[in-house]
Amino acid sequence: MTALKVNGRTLEVGSRPDRTLADALRNDLGLIGVRVSCSEGECGSCTVLVDGKPTTSCLMLVNQAEGREITTIEGIGTPDDLHPIQEAFVEEQGFQCAFCTPGFILSAKAFLAENPNPTADEASVAMSGNICRCGAYPYIVRSVLKAAEKLRANAAGQPAE
Amino acid sequence: MKDDHGDKAMFWAGGTDMMLHWQRQKYHPEFCIDLTRLDNIGDINVEADKITIGALVSLTDLENSSDRHHLLATLSTVTKLMCTPQTRTIATVGGNMCNASPAADLSPVFVATGAEAVIFGSSGERRVSMFDFFEDVNKTALRGGEMLKEIVIPLPQERQIAASYRRIDRTVVDIALVNASTALTVDGDNTITMAVVALGAVAPVIVRSDAAGAGLIGKVVSDVDDGALTAAGEAAAADAKPISDVRASADYRRDMVKVMVRRSLSDCIEQLKG
Repeated sequence: MTALKVNGRTLEVGSRPDRTLADALRNDLGLIGVRVSCSEGECGSCTVLVDGKPTTSCLMLVNQAEGREITTIEGIGTPDDLHPIQEAFVEEQGFQCAFCTPGFILSAKAFLAENPNPTADEASVAMSGNICRCGAYPYIVRSVLKAAEKLRANAAGQPAE
Repeated sequence: MKDDHGDKAMFWAGGTDMMLHWQRQKYHPEFCIDLTRLDNIGDINVEADKITIGALVSLTDLENSSDRHHLLATLSTVTKLMCTPQTRTIATVGGNMCNASPAADLSPVFVATGAEAVIFGSSGERRVSMFDFFEDVNKTALRGGEMLKEIVIPLPQERQIAASYRRIDRTVVDIALVNASTALTVDGDNTITMAVVALGAVAPVIVRSDAAGAGLIGKVVSDVDDGALTAAGEAAAADAKPISDVRASADYRRDMVKVMVRRSLSDCIEQLKG
């Protein structure tokens, strides 16, 4: 068995070495917020955070993730207690069908940790590794900027709005 | 382990190319030797006479090194064109070299700047110029159980070097249809002492066009006019041996070589004029 640190818990997955991190997260752990679409690292829907960095989990072997902190969409908020980035995506309607949304939110989380006060262009470039086939991009950029606002307000100790 | 298992074992760094080759059944590895836990070849070091880039440096780390040297700033702009932010966190510089794609974005820059590959294996360490490192599509100078350890870019002493990279692509997250990198070295009087033009995606390996560089040597940077840049582009196009494929025709590629070389040289000249 391979032990993975996922969303703050240590969980065991089957250790067949010829499988991807995305496969293990989805099929062994049921974390189906990890969406697999292209399997080639182009679409970004399988994005998870590995040690805080956005990573296409379809291209990483499961054993390479051993011992690293993995965060999936299931680890950053619950339906009753959404993460500020999730709230921002809901408020700004940063999705249509929402298939790609977990990947966008995780990319946004890593990006905003590095750049808490981005311009629209910077947000757009940072989201360039995620494809939204519904074409909700303008709303997604607005969501990221709104999320940045909320996170900054939280950091300053005041609730947003 | 590589020595024991030969072709059945494959080195695995970021794996972003390997995974695709594997999915497409190009390789059939029985063992993947994970290199990502080796810790001493994942650094970038800037010294007075050289820049060393460890094979396991991720594209993200290279991208973030832009304030450490102007050549790293050039490489940083190149990495921004490569794949996507979340794939750059795992993809490595060494992997990009060892995959030996003729369209790889970093390869022509390393060839233009005269970089060397440091290779190590059970019989010790050896050095090969990045120009000789590429032997064919997906084939490198690595033999048997050898591995790429680092890439060393020499820095000229009492002279200045400027490098630039240009490419044409079809869309985002794509490989280059044609790319070119050029490097100009000048002495204290701003006279060009070395001019290297490297072309990608126009042959199975990176092409170095000595004819294109030759016309610029001995000229003072401020005297290089459009005519000289165009002539360099024409000379480079004559050295290119492009093929027609799904991405572009050979004729188009040859035409674009002229444009890429001209623009890349012009970038270098702008940098040197400061």
